[in-house]
Amino acid sequence: MSDILVIKELHAGYGEGDILKGIDITLPAGRVVTIIGPNGSGKSTLLKTLAGLLLARRGDIVLKEQSLRDLSPPRRVRAGLSYVPQEYNIFRNLTVLENLKIAREFMADRKMRGGTAISDELIELFPELPGKFKARAGNLSGGQRQMLAFACALTVHPEVLMLDEPSAGLSPKYMTDIFDTVKKVNARGVSVLMVEQNAIEALRISDTCVVMANGHVRLTALANQVLEMKDLHSLYLGDAKEEAVAS
Amino acid sequence: MLQTAFNGLVTGIIVTLPALAVTLLFGVLKFPNFAVGSMMTLAAYLVFALNVQLGWPLVISTAVVAVAFGGLLIAIDYVTFKPLRERGSITLMVASLGLGFVLENIARLAYGNTARSFAIELARPFRFLDIRMNREQMITIVVSTLAMLAMYFLLTRMPIGRAMRAVADNPALALVRGIESPRIIRWTWFIAGMLLAVGGVLIGMDRALEPPMGSSYLVAVFAAAILGGLGSPLGAFIGALVIGIVSELATLVIPPNYRIGIPLCVIALILIFRPQGLFGQPYIRK
Ligand SMILES: Nc1ncnc2c1ncn2[C@@H]1O[C@H](COP(=O)(O)OP(=O)(O)O)[C@@H](O)[C@H]1O
Ligand SMILES: [Mg+2]
Repeated sequence: MSDILVIKELHAGYGEGDILKGIDITLPAGRVVTIIGPNGSGKSTLLKTLAGLLLARRGDIVLKEQSLRDLSPPRRVRAGLSYVPQEYNIFRNLTVLENLKIAREFMADRKMRGGTAISDELIELFPELPGKFKARAGNLSGGQRQMLAFACALTVHPEVLMLDEPSAGLSPKYMTDIFDTVKKVNARGVSVLMVEQNAIEALRISDTCVVMANGHVRLTALANQVLEMKDLHSLYLGDAKEEAVAS
Repeated sequence: MLQTAFNGLVTGIIVTLPALAVTLLFGVLKFPNFAVGSMMTLAAYLVFALNVQLGWPLVISTAVVAVAFGGLLIAIDYVTFKPLRERGSITLMVASLGLGFVLENIARLAYGNTARSFAIELARPFRFLDIRMNREQMITIVVSTLAMLAMYFLLTRMPIGRAMRAVADNPALALVRGIESPRIIRWTWFIAGMLLAVGGVLIGMDRALEPPMGSSYLVAVFAAAILGGLGSPLGAFIGALVIGIVSELATLVIPPNYRIGIPLCVIALILIFRPQGLFGQPYIRK
């Protein structure tokens, strides 16, 4: 199995001092890797750095043998890496349809130049969206916004999809829908790197679980092994390493 | 009364183009560009050079300068604002004040303080529904309306316009959606440059060319843009109309010398009661 995304010794931060203090994560092609960990441990910072919004101070990000380190965010999208941020992940003042279109309009030099943003495949995954095309995206419900953000990230046919807490703040119905959709997208060959708080639901559809704490990777394990651990919550308490060794 | 209102409408509508430029620049770059007045002055003098000194027709001179001025603003951005982009809007605003001062004095240095005018033949005013209207006023109304419609079309129907709205809405998201924001910023300056060049010519036709010609409209331009709601082309147009009519009608009850106070009052009232303007979207700070 080849690795589609390799994160090596990654350091990044906002001001003085690093938030990410040497992160190593590998995403095998076609798999789902879920990152869990306490609030403030640097999960969102990691995805921002991978997307190119934050400078990688040390280390490397390799997508299909190509280093992304010096690429701008738009170029990383073109290289096949798509990202759904945790917050502010839609253009509120644009309509739903405009949100979907815009994600592809500037991809001219990539293979999916032809065709439309809204493929049958996309409508199949997000049946709620077509009825809302003309609505201002800012007027959608929380669940619909999340679906829209997800759909926008797919319009560019990424090879790796990064999702930052896609189920945060959603009703149980939307939460199930979101994870179902992640699973379907993955079944179509897209590798997924996801950050989630709803660990149990997320790990059910994941292959690998990565636990982050305080800017470090505390544990990397098979998702179903982690699901079987007696006290999943102790993973969040920062002594995950000892816990894992013990089990 | 009707004639006064009409005159007000035209004096107001004349700031539509710069108000559109202000609205567009503010939306994408998030700072109030106070150099727009002097930018109009400079563009008007460039048109003067082609039209009067080289003898080209005014329309052709304006078209050539509009395109060149768009390019010039990209270059100006590159040396003045771009290096400061990370420093926040206050720094950029102060830089724009300085830039305005420099540009106005470049015009002064080249052409002095004497008032000049474009080479156009005089046309007789005509009457329409009891209102006296001259050709310059007609041109102002037509050009401003067309510019507003063109901006609306650009922002809603064209990919580059949609991308401008996306960058205005959420710059970080625009980047991760594959939009090269530096390119969008260049387009924004280019379009603003064309609007300001044509706006400068309209003002030069209405009054005369002198170094402070553009900056004297600054308050009205910002009042129109803020009243309409920064970011909305229709808002800039309606805002310009309202400011013009209100200022002109106000001279019926207050001394004309205080006219300049009207747009200032409008700015204050809008900022207190409806900061997003008539047509703008509330701006949420992230
Ligand atoms: N824009 C920012 N500027 C400065 N510090 C930030 C910023 N965003 C997050 N941080 C800090 O970085 C740390 C990690 O945050 P984050 O990556 O959002 O954590 P998580 O997603 O795991 O909850 C926190 O201490 C947070 O305060
Ligand atoms: Mg987070």
